[in-house]
Amino acid sequence: MSSHSETGKFHYHEPGLQHQFEDMGQQEESVSIGMWMFLVQEIMFFGGLFTAYLVFRSKYPMAFAAGSNHLDAFWGGLNTLVLIVSSLTMALTVYYAQKSNRNMQVIMILLTMAFGATFLGVKTIEYRDKFNHGLVPVQGWNKRIKAETNAEHETKPCWEVDHNAPAIEHPNPRGEFQWTDCSLVKKAQDEGYLTNAEKIGYFSNGEIDANKFRDKVRIFYYLYFVMTGLHALHMIVGLALMTWLLIVAWRGSFSEDYYMPVEMSGLYWHFVDIVWIFLFPLLYLLGRHFMHGG
Amino acid sequence: MAEYEQHDHDHIEHDHMTIPKYIGIFLVLVVGTILTYFAATVDLDFIFPGANTLVALLIAFTKMTCVMLFFMHVYWSPRMIWLSAVASFFWLAIMFSYTMQDYLTRDPGVFSP
Amino acid sequence: MQDAITAEYSGPPKLNYLNNGFTLKSWLLTKDHKRIAIMYLITVSLFFMAGGLYASAIRLELLTPASDLLQTGTYNKVFTQHGILMIFFFLIPSIPAVLGNFILPIMIGAKDLALPRINLLSLYIYWVGGAFTVWALLQGGVDTGWTFYTPYSTTFSNTYVMAVGLGIFINGFSSILTGLNFIVTVHTMRAPGMTWFRLPLFVWAQYATSLVMILGTPVIAITVLLLAIERFARVGIFDPTIGGDPILFQHMFWFYSHPAVYIMILPGMGVISELISNFSRKKIFGYEFIAFSSIAIAVFGFLVWGHHMFVSGQSVYAGLVFSFLTMVVAVPSAIKMFNWTATMYKGSISYDTPMLYGIGFMGLFLIGGLTGLFLGAIGLTVHLTDTYFVVAHFHYVMVGGQVIAYLGGIHYWWPKMTGKMYSEFWGKISAMLVFVGFNLTFFPQFILGYMGMPRRYSYPPEFQVLNIFSTAGASVLGVGLILPLIYLTQSLISGKAAGDNPWMLPGLEWRTSSPPPTENFDVMPVVTWEAYEFGEESGLDLEGARANESVRTV
Repeated sequence: MSSHSETGKFHYHEPGLQHQFEDMGQQEESVSIGMWMFLVQEIMFFGGLFTAYLVFRSKYPMAFAAGSNHLDAFWGGLNTLVLIVSSLTMALTVYYAQKSNRNMQVIMILLTMAFGATFLGVKTIEYRDKFNHGLVPVQGWNKRIKAETNAEHETKPCWEVDHNAPAIEHPNPRGEFQWTDCSLVKKAQDEGYLTNAEKIGYFSNGEIDANKFRDKVRIFYYLYFVMTGLHALHMIVGLALMTWLLIVAWRGSFSEDYYMPVEMSGLYWHFVDIVWIFLFPLLYLLGRHFMHGG
Repeated sequence: MAEYEQHDHDHIEHDHMTIPKYIGIFLVLVVGTILTYFAATVDLDFIFPGANTLVALLIAFTKMTCVMLFFMHVYWSPRMIWLSAVASFFWLAIMFSYTMQDYLTRDPGVFSP
Repeated sequence: MQDAITAEYSGPPKLNYLNNGFTLKSWLLTKDHKRIAIMYLITVSLFFMAGGLYASAIRLELLTPASDLLQTGTYNKVFTQHGILMIFFFLIPSIPAVLGNFILPIMIGAKDLALPRINLLSLYIYWVGGAFTVWALLQGGVDTGWTFYTPYSTTFSNTYVMAVGLGIFINGFSSILTGLNFIVTVHTMRAPGMTWFRLPLFVWAQYATSLVMILGTPVIAITVLLLAIERFARVGIFDPTIGGDPILFQHMFWFYSHPAVYIMILPGMGVISELISNFSRKKIFGYEFIAFSSIAIAVFGFLVWGHHMFVSGQSVYAGLVFSFLTMVVAVPSAIKMFNWTATMYKGSISYDTPMLYGIGFMGLFLIGGLTGLFLGAIGLTVHLTDTYFVVAHFHYVMVGGQVIAYLGGIHYWWPKMTGKMYSEFWGKISAMLVFVGFNLTFFPQFILGYMGMPRRYSYPPEFQVLNIFSTAGASVLGVGLILPLIYLTQSLISGKAAGDNPWMLPGLEWRTSSPPPTENFDVMPVVTWEAYEFGEESGLDLEGARANESVRTV
């Protein structure tokens, strides 16, 4: 950049250089800072959700643990690994772009897209599972199961429902959010670590109230769907970005001298990965240690 | 005259990472994920309540730092990039702590047994 | 450079950003920050007028204690929509998107903003968000107050909360992108020799504002999104009857919306720093202090949001902390006030229209800021919350601060933007009318609020006299605000040519032609002078030019 300061005249423009910049260095610097500023706002965007999570988890830890234990940590863990692999292939895309290796770039972009799509596929399986088990927190958005006239329904108190047993399909004619298991409340009550908010929030007249507990679990599922949903939306945007990148890389446009679009898409992709790195333990694993002998 | 140090490099340096290094970071991330899972299944409440979450978050922070420093090349980036990364977490901390200072002081003992 | 100020240019009209293409396409698809600023100027003015109409309706209704002009429900909608249009579509975008967009790249000697396409995108997002909101308002509007407090907004209000909320959600990204662009531009686009401490203070203020925009706006986006989801899904995260927490909404809302107050006032302070120094023809006193106080306001502004929630169920301890920090955030604003005053001391002050606005700002913002301290005091605020004292306070800051600074800035840079000079006579008249009308409108409201007149609903008959004063003042203020519309438009048609440097100032924006060419400078400027340098170091013979000017006019 210091070159033009002596002459004080506008320079001849390199190809690929936008009109407002003096040289490629300035352009790359601008694009890179711009992308980081965008990521900062993304962090704050997800930050609002994490605040809501923090507040409600500190108020109702048992409801969150119960809800979390019903998520499938296998799928969640698998998705974490899938995203990490896709991050690696993304990083390698940038690496090969810097080495002007067009074929490896294309392969790496395709791999990244494949892993991204796998992630979304697994997410779909999980969402369908929640739909089938009446765990979507919106009325009418769950599978509707008619009540059978002669079926016997469990009349056990809700804290004796065995949460390790496979989920039983309860009649759900209006597709409501359903939750029957409050064994963790009983456990916390017996061992004396209910929070003050929980002592009010789960009980009616000194008895555990299954409906009140269900409302708190629903808040967990709400946050689960909003957080993973927004994350999935970012993945879809990332896949669109990758498609564009694939076309440009296919033409062999990226080289040692011009690889900013790859680098910037990489930043975005890694950011989405980082969000998931936090979502996985906070959503899938937070109550796992209560499962022993619960 | 002006501060040009930020413009000095024509291209952001990119010869620091090699494929073995990328694979190495990747393995760290995989080990971290597995560790997170198994750490979550062990009941650490005997240390202090919430120890499990703390461990999980510590591992997540480590993983995030690896991704940011090496996959996102922050380690070799200008100061401005470091600053924006740190600032965003600082502001997150403001949002969390100032919201929680209300909730935690509203009825004492929310986190205590 | 020396003769840029005195040279007479004869020949065919120079190619500038305005006569460089006249088709609609050349405007709508432009990447030129100046054209984008002009399009922002027009849109923002339309929103200001719409918000002003709502304000007139409110003032007319409050002429009598009975609800005669507007029914109760309509009145709720009117003050809500006044707030939403004014805050989200006028106060927040006005100075950054109009004045900042136009003048910031020129001030630092750049050809354009760093990311011109993002800049155009931000304008389109603003249009889409605005259109969405206006559509929702035409459909029936909202009645929740601009704060959308839950659970009323999620559970009870059956107005168009979701539609307006999504309009604001969309609009937020416009402000994020503008902020992002400014930060990048200030970092990478400065001309040779334009060091950080040679930047005009307007640029520092814009930089601080942009920080707030980037760090705060995403939080309101997610809050409004949660609000919209809550409204149709009835999950209950904000509904206390099923375990939710309405205070959480307030925390998240004010995490953005208090810093948003600084998004509105910081650029105004930047304009005032320019006006005070330039029209006192004196180097600004305490440049570094003013520059860093902008950054300090941006940072501390994020630590005080709880002072909006003193009586809404927040813990007493949190109230204490927020109250203390509110006192702290007053310090950087006070630093600015003292430095401006010290700048004027023994300056060679010329009372041109922009300077009248500048001086008006200092008085009004002083009152607005100090009454803010009353409201931040945790004991007194219990008495004053939700009274007209609050209304008066924030209008003193928003109208007395931001709007007046915006008007001052428009008048100050109008010759640069259009190449035409407006009528100085009418300019002064209107500045006076705005000042007098404003005080007449809002000062009685301090008294009313202190006596207990509630906000947002009707008042007992004994408060009517002061309310009549207030409405009368509003009409004076209205005339003062309509006048610029007339004489500024008139100046476009028949105003005399302004010349490149009508105020004889050293800043970089005055060293290019008026209106500037598309790439702002014919030759890349090299900055060798400090900001606000009026002596020989500026490289211009400003005093000589000023003397010639006075000979010519006398």
